[in-house]
Amino acid sequence: MPPPNKGLDIDTAATARAAGLDKAVAEFPDCVADAARAAALDLADMPAIDGSTEPWPAMRIRSRR
Amino acid sequence: MTDLRWLTATEIGAAYASRQLSPVELVQALLTEIGARNADCGAFIRVDEEGALAAARHAEADIMSGRTLGPLHGVPLGAKDNIDIAGQPTTCHSKILLDNVAHQDAAAIANLRATGAIMLGKQSLHEFAFGGPSKELPFPFARHPWNTDYHPGGSSSGSGVALAAGFVPLSLGTDAGGSIRNPAGNCGVVGLKPTYDLVSRRGVFPVAFTLDHVGPMARSVADVALMLDALVGSRRERSYGAELDRGVRGLRIGFVRQWHETDMVADPEVAAALDEVERVLRREGAEVRTIPLPRLQELAAVQRIILLAETWAVHAKWLRERPQDYSLPCRRKVMPGAFLSAGDYINAQQWRARMIDAVDDALGEVDVLLTASGMDPPFRIDDGPGLAGTYPRQGRSPFNLTGHPAIAMQSGLSKVSGLPLSVQFVGRAYDEATLLRVAAAYERVTQWSKQRPPMSKNSFRRGHAAATA
Repeated sequence: MPPPNKGLDIDTAATARAAGLDKAVAEFPDCVADAARAAALDLADMPAIDGSTEPWPAMRIRSRR
Repeated sequence: MTDLRWLTATEIGAAYASRQLSPVELVQALLTEIGARNADCGAFIRVDEEGALAAARHAEADIMSGRTLGPLHGVPLGAKDNIDIAGQPTTCHSKILLDNVAHQDAAAIANLRATGAIMLGKQSLHEFAFGGPSKELPFPFARHPWNTDYHPGGSSSGSGVALAAGFVPLSLGTDAGGSIRNPAGNCGVVGLKPTYDLVSRRGVFPVAFTLDHVGPMARSVADVALMLDALVGSRRERSYGAELDRGVRGLRIGFVRQWHETDMVADPEVAAALDEVERVLRREGAEVRTIPLPRLQELAAVQRIILLAETWAVHAKWLRERPQDYSLPCRRKVMPGAFLSAGDYINAQQWRARMIDAVDDALGEVDVLLTASGMDPPFRIDDGPGLAGTYPRQGRSPFNLTGHPAIAMQSGLSKVSGLPLSVQFVGRAYDEATLLRVAAAYERVTQWSKQRPPMSKNSFRRGHAAATA
């Protein structure tokens, strides 16, 4: 496996590779780094939640629109 | 006969009925206009001249012999190029889908055709309804028809531009985070994101399954109602335009001031225009009160997590195999979903349920909400950082999250750029009739929808500002 690009930290590169983005890591490291930052910023803005509390996400039994 | 470019669908129907105008005459005039000026503003990426003229001849024969399918019979329209039209490519303005020819019409297109509407062609968009203006794409990006140095908004850019340029009376757009309402407001036309799933998404390339909406765009509220009638088809109980003339007297409007006054401080011109909207509605007899909603940043973040996770599910295969075939803005915007976990997505869906309840609670106290659409006036198309900064500064995406119907329209003119400012009204789920009633009352008083691009008498200005990406 090639080393991470210098624009990317090791953890970000590892997460990207785990998602199958090896080609993007090699060719577009800045995009990958930007994407990781963007996801982190959105997650930081989402308020914390206890996943066990109701209401839970819905499931619709009728699958045909 | 007045200038054919600016006829509304309502006026076209009346002109056909009185035999002052024929579908062939109108379609020919609009095709000529598109041929002369589309290169300057990039509204259409493909025009189906042959198909449109054939449909116009057919409509003409029908109308002349008294066989009328409805108010849209013989009315031309354009569709965003992420919506399938049988026999034509659905490219999503991307390299990746250049050869993706649709085998059948999207459900929305089929419903419009059933009422006799004529498909003029496919309109430009942000790549996959998600990227931004870019020179890397196979077709030119759209430019603001009032001043081609400016961004018309997106992602249904061509759909808004085509209306404001006088190319079509109706456009069909899609909206996962404001993509109908942003170009509608920026271009001084009217765009409605209906209640989630009111208009079928079948045959529309997805941005995010649980956020995507298909909806009408037009130069008047009455035309938006007409088009929504056709899009919903036989499932509707009555015309969505049934209450357009009732005015707002007695209606309760909740003004969500906090979003643009404290959560995301709006440009002073945008804020002043919103205050003026409030004054107009009060003067017309509405009861306007300030109403709180959850913090805009939180609503927007929850919408973004869901958007990014679902978009990743759509694009993961291509991002892994051919990331080079995306433009820079799109690649950058689509990839963050790779860095979210399943738990992040599920937590966002849990928040979504609470936020739907919060908006429903607010709409239990008032009939319609009044909010900022964009926090900024249209930006220059060559101002990449400025442009990128405006995308998250908006109050549209929360209603993709909650599914409530929302309409954007012009609220004034920027003294700085001379371009439209916009406002958003939001209604109860499935109560598009009341929402359109408020929008029609506001339109009737302000007459903003009668504004035309300053250059429309001649041609668009040449020598464009360039996009940065």
